[in-house]
Amino acid sequence: MGLEQFKNRNVGTQNYKTLDLGKTPTRGLDKFKQVVNRTFKGELFVGLWVTLREMINALFRGEMHTVKYPFEKLPISPRYRAIHDMLRLLESGHYRCIGCGLCEKICISNCITMDTRYDENQRKEVSEYTINFGRCIFCGYCAEVCPELAIVHGPRYENASEQRASFSLFEDMLTPIDKLNLQQEYEGFGAVSPNADDNIKQTPLAY
Amino acid sequence: METTLVENLPEVTAVGVLIKAIIILAVISAIAGFGTYIERKVLAFMQRRLGPMHVGPYGLLQLAADGIKLFTKEDIVPQNANKFIFMIAPIITAATAFIALAAVPVFPDFTIPEFIPLLGGTFVPSIAADLNIGILFVLGMMASGLYGPLLAGMSQANKWGIIGAARTAVQFLSYEVVTGLSILAPIMIVGSLSFVDFNNAQSEGIGSWLIWQQPVAFVLFLIAGFAETNRTPFDLLEHEAEVVSGYATEYSGMRWGMFFIGEYANMITISIIAAIVFLGGYSEGTLGWLTIVLKVGFFFLLMLWVRASWPHIRPDQLMWLCWKVLMPIAVINVVITGIVMMV
Amino acid sequence: MSTVNIKIDGKEFAVKEGEYILNAARANNVFIPAICYLTRCSPTLACRLCLVEADGKQVYACNAKVKEGMEITVDTPNILEERRAIMEVYDVNHPLQCGVCDKSGECELQNYTLELGVDSQSYMIPDTKRETKNWSSVLHYDAGLCIVCERCTTVCKDMIGDAALTTVKRGGEALDKGFKETMPKDAYAMWNKLQKSVIAPSNGTEFTDCSDCGECAAVCPVGALVSRDFQYTSNAWDLKRVPAVSAHSSDGFQIYYEVKPTSIEDRSEKIYRVTNEWNYVSLDGAARFAYDFENRDVVKDEQAFEKAVEAFKKAQTIRFNSVITNEEALMLQTLKEKMGIKLYNPEVRAFQKFLGYYQKASGNRFYTTDTDAVMKKSDFVIAMGTALRNDSPGLKYAFNNVQKMNKGAGLYFHPVGDTLIPSFGKNVECFTHKPGLEEAALYLVLDLFADKEKLPDDVKEYIASFKSSEKKTIKEKVMKDVTEMVKDEETGEEKEVTKKVPEMVEKEITIERNGLVDLLGGNSEKFEEVFAKMMKKKESFSMMIGEDFYYHDKAENLAKLIALVEETSEIDVVMAPPKSNALGVALICDLDDEAEGYTVGYNENGDFRLSALGDGDLDMPAMNQQEGTLTNMSKRVVPTNAALEYGGYELNDIVSALIDGERETIDWTVKLPTAKGYKAIAFDDLENGYSNDGTENRGYLLKTSTRKVKMPKVEKFDEASALEGEIVYRCNPGRQFSDFTDKAHEIFEPFGLYASIAKAEELGEKVEIIFENGSIIVDVIVDDKIEGDITKLSDFKSAKDVYTLFGESRYKTVTMRKV
Repeated sequence: MGLEQFKNRNVGTQNYKTLDLGKTPTRGLDKFKQVVNRTFKGELFVGLWVTLREMINALFRGEMHTVKYPFEKLPISPRYRAIHDMLRLLESGHYRCIGCGLCEKICISNCITMDTRYDENQRKEVSEYTINFGRCIFCGYCAEVCPELAIVHGPRYENASEQRASFSLFEDMLTPIDKLNLQQEYEGFGAVSPNADDNIKQTPLAY
Repeated sequence: METTLVENLPEVTAVGVLIKAIIILAVISAIAGFGTYIERKVLAFMQRRLGPMHVGPYGLLQLAADGIKLFTKEDIVPQNANKFIFMIAPIITAATAFIALAAVPVFPDFTIPEFIPLLGGTFVPSIAADLNIGILFVLGMMASGLYGPLLAGMSQANKWGIIGAARTAVQFLSYEVVTGLSILAPIMIVGSLSFVDFNNAQSEGIGSWLIWQQPVAFVLFLIAGFAETNRTPFDLLEHEAEVVSGYATEYSGMRWGMFFIGEYANMITISIIAAIVFLGGYSEGTLGWLTIVLKVGFFFLLMLWVRASWPHIRPDQLMWLCWKVLMPIAVINVVITGIVMMV
Repeated sequence: MSTVNIKIDGKEFAVKEGEYILNAARANNVFIPAICYLTRCSPTLACRLCLVEADGKQVYACNAKVKEGMEITVDTPNILEERRAIMEVYDVNHPLQCGVCDKSGECELQNYTLELGVDSQSYMIPDTKRETKNWSSVLHYDAGLCIVCERCTTVCKDMIGDAALTTVKRGGEALDKGFKETMPKDAYAMWNKLQKSVIAPSNGTEFTDCSDCGECAAVCPVGALVSRDFQYTSNAWDLKRVPAVSAHSSDGFQIYYEVKPTSIEDRSEKIYRVTNEWNYVSLDGAARFAYDFENRDVVKDEQAFEKAVEAFKKAQTIRFNSVITNEEALMLQTLKEKMGIKLYNPEVRAFQKFLGYYQKASGNRFYTTDTDAVMKKSDFVIAMGTALRNDSPGLKYAFNNVQKMNKGAGLYFHPVGDTLIPSFGKNVECFTHKPGLEEAALYLVLDLFADKEKLPDDVKEYIASFKSSEKKTIKEKVMKDVTEMVKDEETGEEKEVTKKVPEMVEKEITIERNGLVDLLGGNSEKFEEVFAKMMKKKESFSMMIGEDFYYHDKAENLAKLIALVEETSEIDVVMAPPKSNALGVALICDLDDEAEGYTVGYNENGDFRLSALGDGDLDMPAMNQQEGTLTNMSKRVVPTNAALEYGGYELNDIVSALIDGERETIDWTVKLPTAKGYKAIAFDDLENGYSNDGTENRGYLLKTSTRKVKMPKVEKFDEASALEGEIVYRCNPGRQFSDFTDKAHEIFEPFGLYASIAKAEELGEKVEIIFENGSIIVDVIVDDKIEGDITKLSDFKSAKDVYTLFGESRYKTVTMRKV
């Protein structure tokens, strides 16, 4: 491999392709010819036809593109990274977060904080959890690092609110216990990949 | 062709003209506003969008909403602007546009029914002022409309405004030549400057329309008309990508609205002129007036359609087109018309 | 110190002779993996990770000593295979709860699993159910997480001396024999042992009977042993480490306060735990658990400040204790010099005087050794005048460590009997003597250790006067041959059979009696033999002196005797300053004997009280809220940093308002008196840490000096001065030192009268102790490690003013009345 491509340091020019636009006329006659050519070629009318056609398609063939947003919403990708959701275990209803603090650690805008304590059942309890959405850049690292798939990026992208705090506490993000049956399993960032089973090395445990 | 219908009509009184003027002012203003709605809708459809939908059924009341907004907005005059000129510039644009409409036949003439008190029996003419130099007057008035953008751009102490003003002067003055020359040939054929005479000269069906005799003049007039009304592809005066908003950069609220009313009034004026001069104007009877409405509507739509389809051109291309292409063709057209008429 | 040259992985190093390979490598920044080894303790060989090849043979780096010309290879293919197998074995059945584990992020199991690239598992065994337990008020043990590296048991035995933990049977499944052939040898042996054992309290109960120092939790490489209070409250990586000095005992241990915001609502920082460089310093319970004594939520109260300045202006005395920094002590001394205010500090005054007597008698500016040197070199330690278990944890650890690591021997002289100290080693001899006979103990030391030729004649004669020999008739068992005729029942034949039959024989022997030994509660008949055994192969001797001597009627004579001991024998002496920064205060301040007139108390009683406890007229920062230096027992000026914010006024502000002060408290550091051994070094230039070979780089050592003096003239002691009757000893329970330790929420030891089991039973639940100058009503608390009738009365609550009750002595004869 040659080194030419590394020696071209004009960043961004490496991938440009030059289109064949023909020669720019220099003589008067050539220019005249070009004008006549362009005038009578009817390209202008092609343009008019394109827009008219689109209008007809839109009006009569139901190809209107507009989504009437607040009333109509497009389905969003599971990889979309909106306001975080804290999920619960489907069986017990207990929240999945174990308070390991990895999200807190990995957060590059340093906006996650949690309080943990030793609870009555001798378990680590997350007594409070908060994300400062004024600082969150929705990078998705927290969801990716979470070993329990407990914190995920939900589909809730409409985050206009009177108070920033309306989103930021544990219970705001946690699936309400009565809506547990509606909880969607997360498919996006950090979720188990479809072929995860193939990548697991088995531990020899015959017991 | 020599006879006119004027003497068969009732006397035109000052009151009638006044009423007509008020009607024009009210209706054209409304249509200008409505025009913005139509424009947005048509552009939206051509881009497969819906356009305004939320105010009123199908967004019809968007116009009212915009009107309320424009009227209630704060009237801002920039600190370093020449305040007087800044404030009258939009008025010049709107006023010239409406004055031009005085010599254009708009709506059929009618007599106010007798039972209406005070004004009962007053005859309202189709033309507010049926001048025998109608076309000249209209073109002249529209040309003087250039002072609006020009003064606006120069007075507002803004570099984009200055550039917009310069472009205004260049564009409007240049295309005035083409408009005049292109319409000269039809005038030669008809032999009158009155719109009524033009109308009458083409009253014998589609075959008598001047467009068939003067297709080149029609095309030239149309192109020049686009330029005169500052429409795409010649909207260099306020082209966002180049000069922010051109002469209108510092304007807001109703002063800005007046520029738009003027522009839309001009669009209607040009459409009416084109319809009357080249497409036979209106016919007799109630339905006859519908024909001109349709023709005007077509031209109006054409302007929107072109805006949706074509890119705009550079100022140098604009000048090149005007002086090196359109003007010579117009002159040749006039000469040929003259030769044909002589022969 | 002689060195030998060795080669590790081809690089040459000159290392200390007799050093273990692992320590030599660490000192030279060569990494050899090891989990179970603790630098100052004996090798346990539990993990076997430190396997290296030395001169072609595989040895364990933690217990193989370096030899001249030794060539060491850290990694060979075989060793790497062993190590990997060992780490795989450690990972067998280790719960995957790193997510909640407190150790995650600083876990050696995680680190070595990663370091040795363990990415798959080849071994398996059924798991055994192992319960989590709370061993004490501070310890939480999760047996499931335990990898039985035995660091906890080792440190508890070799360093702390409590030996409260031991390995017990796990009851796990036996290993599949097939593994023996297939897996690396050492890994198999390690696993075999691991699978059989688990850690438990050594007293056979569910609870540890120890000093609750928490050192076992500190050394635990995994999350098996953690502090109950800290558990699940924070991840290691969230905590900010602030290097500081323990504020309580005079050992001045280096600690790290680990701080983090209190909670989501309260973002002000809070100390979550205290950690230490456990390879180089071991903490006591107070240093580790008494950390939250800060003066919280203090704001600048200008009115109180004005009043404080007024109070200082009219004050005749400032009363304070030793829980202040050198800088503050210097400020107070400056106030004394410029404003003529008396400085009253009964806690330190006695020590200061004693140090003065000692300096005068010996010519040394300071005592000659310190705890670190004792641990590193000594093989014979003598402790006297200090309740080793309570007064100075550092001395206790050193005393114990010498027994365990240096094959040492020890003598412990103290009036209060203690059951723990004899357990430090089999060569520890305890003398429970009557209070008041401390001089006799020193005379015995002179008798035993002094070079007789150097001793002044009168002393020699005096010692000899205690010697006597007597004839004694003792009964001795002698085996005697007896021949008799036995008739065989079956055959009827008679045979001659010889049997050995024991017989008591009376014998007369000469016994050398040493009156000193008997006087001190020993048995001179046996002592000579015992002592001869103790003295075998001993080269380096040291003596620990404690607070009893400072608060003693004959303090001056004791100091002279100590000087004489140093002069005439090879014994080095270390003295334990009573508390915290007592040595610093003693050196910097010119203390007065009496308080008089209007008194400003700093953390003490007074007409106007400055207090870092939050209960005074003006708030002051506590030790964990201020920066400055302390002078510790090792004669080292050590820097401490502020772990927590403090919003109020400091002593420096008051001093600045009164006289020309400095801008910051630490601007005083450079002005510490060089005449007393301090150096003019700015605070910010002081280092604070340890290097890999264990060298302490904290602050600087005080400059010592020696001048030639005449042999001190010592007095004879008066046997009659021994106290008789009901005696109370002023002594704090293990983890209590002052009001500050009492304020900490993880210190549970109550204020009271600590007594042996039998004595407590006799006294009942509550007693009134009547002194000559007052009385106090206290609860009686059982301390099962006390022997005898002397009881210990706490003094850590300054409000109880126990110091005044005791006056200039630590022992008082009192009257007890049941309440």
